Amino acid sequence: MMIGLRLFISSAVFSIAIAIAYWLVAHEIVGTFLLAFMAFALTFVAGYMIVAEREADLYGDRDDAKVSDGAGELVGTFTTRSPLPIWTALAVTCIFLGLVVSPTLAGLGVIAALLLGAFFIVQSR
Amino acid sequence: MSAAAVAAPPRNDLLGWITTTDHKRIGILYLTTSLGYFFVAGALALVIRTQLAHPNATVVSAHAFAQLFTLHGTAMIFLFVAPFALGLANFLIPLQIGAPDMAFPRLNALSYWMFLFGGLVIFAGAATNEGAAAAGWTSYAPLATIKISTGLGQDLWIVGVFLVSVATIMTSINFITTVFVYRAPGMTMWRIPIFTWEMVATSLLVFMAFPALAADLLLLFVDRHLGGHAFDPAHGGNAILWQHLFWFFGHPEVYVMILPYFGVISEIIPVFSRKPIFGYTGLVISAFAIAGLSMGVWAHHMFTTGAVNNPFFSFVSFLIAVPTGVKFFNWIATMWRGSISFQTPMLFSLGFLMNFLLGGITGVMVASPPIDFQAQDSYFVVAHMHYVLGGGSLFAIFAALFFWWPKMFGVKLHERLGTWCFWLLFVGFNVTFFPMHLLGIDGMPRRVFTYASEGQLPALNLIATLGSYVMLAGVLVFCWNVVVSTLKREPVGADPWRANSLEWWTTSPPPEHNFDTLPPIRSERPVFDAHHPDVAARTPR
Repeated sequence: MMIGLRLFISSAVFSIAIAIAYWLVAHEIVGTFLLAFMAFALTFVAGYMIVAEREADLYGDRDDAKVSDGAGELVGTFTTRSPLPIWTALAVTCIFLGLVVSPTLAGLGVIAALLLGAFFIVQSR
Repeated sequence: MSAAAVAAPPRNDLLGWITTTDHKRIGILYLTTSLGYFFVAGALALVIRTQLAHPNATVVSAHAFAQLFTLHGTAMIFLFVAPFALGLANFLIPLQIGAPDMAFPRLNALSYWMFLFGGLVIFAGAATNEGAAAAGWTSYAPLATIKISTGLGQDLWIVGVFLVSVATIMTSINFITTVFVYRAPGMTMWRIPIFTWEMVATSLLVFMAFPALAADLLLLFVDRHLGGHAFDPAHGGNAILWQHLFWFFGHPEVYVMILPYFGVISEIIPVFSRKPIFGYTGLVISAFAIAGLSMGVWAHHMFTTGAVNNPFFSFVSFLIAVPTGVKFFNWIATMWRGSISFQTPMLFSLGFLMNFLLGGITGVMVASPPIDFQAQDSYFVVAHMHYVLGGGSLFAIFAALFFWWPKMFGVKLHERLGTWCFWLLFVGFNVTFFPMHLLGIDGMPRRVFTYASEGQLPALNLIATLGSYVMLAGVLVFCWNVVVSTLKREPVGADPWRANSLEWWTTSPPPEHNFDTLPPIRSERPVFDAHHPDVAARTPR
């Protein structure tokens, strides 16, 4: 995790540096804003990793970890199938397509999204 | 990290594929869908070349021609070259790092379906009264605003590209999380294969660049339908705001389309040179150097607007040649004194090196504003772009198909047909695109549907068109190869190439849970180490 953290921190520092350099050289607002926004996004992720993940201890980070280190108790069966992704994609596509084609289509997309939300609520109980 | 789980038994019918969240199936869905879009976009390119074979040809009208090059560019960039890499990464990343699946399997499937639907929405424009979008794959405002592009096709283009861009952002987050968190014990970051590293750099680029595209598309939608004036200087807008936002995404996008294929080449060359990769660390650092620098070069597409700081963007553009040169040096050093075997994946990798080198050199040329002022919007730029993305990415895509086909489907593609495919594509590609440099120097502008019968223009255009049909023959040979190899069905073992990385440890094709066993992971070549413990013991770590 440390390398991931370093990656985001160094990217954020680079973004801040290039945003400042660009502003000093070009005095151009759109590009400076875009670079600053990029720096903000990277700093946000780096900050999250520092605050939330600094204690992370992964076997994948240990040079001498054995494969058996990752083995453990059986927690159950996971499925590799779900109808939710295609349903969600259809709902999202209908909503955005409806904005340019027909409000009815957008309405159908919203209904599909609401059904999806209801499914999640029922499933989580 | 002590939790474990087992997979439910796979379902092999259509419903099983539609509802799958298995990264390998999603990867194959991505690959087949993007290849489908490639065939369509390639067919459009053939119509374009047929129209341009002779001056004043009337194969298609001017408006139809504009739709053709718009759909061709959009499909190749948004629906083929970049998504093919996502498909490859979907299939390979968990296998290369020893994970059972991606970090977010359902998000992964959602990304695929949004990509598929986004592409279909873009092409649906062709069925509307005024036809598909016709403002080019760059869709510059004000050309793409409602005053000029009045048709529904442009709206469908906006919606389709938006869906694809959101899908790509979600996938990139999935990749980063998977690589950071789901590596097998001992698979430290400095042991993951170069392809996976390149995908981390690519995902970081997507994370930084694609939101600008999404914002740009939303602004264009607001301008077209909600009375916005973001791109209208008469009402306080900015005439080149679209270009700034688009190229802030668009130039990193070029690296989104090439970094994964640098990874592909970095995987293939060591295997067919029978040597470890030269300069692993240098290859990783250069990937991130390219990614970082590519975020600061967007306005080299805007030199001729006179509204950007040309020296800044020219300097940063030149800088990118340095880490790219490091990669070339490392690939050549890997081959140096190796025991090279010229099997199809290696042939395509060598083709990649030669074509991409030429595309890179012309890239350095147009990074210089005085040259760019001459080359802007000419066929020289078309040639440069196609040498990078066609000669580069496309050849790496075929290299990847031939290399990982046995792992995906359990059979090898036919070697002799593969060699034919390579030579037809290599010769066809260069016959098609090299003359375009000369066309550009002679002043032929891009995106024109006809041209004057003057000087070398007719002859060079005819040569380019003939070359495109040779490329078609190469693609058809590939399709025939797939049919023949599938029908013959000669199963291969887990590691038919005697390769290095972890995906070659498991069966071909892999089981749904990916691995029954894992070897000890003590270097970036765990499979080689397991097969050659004597060599591994002598290798300094």
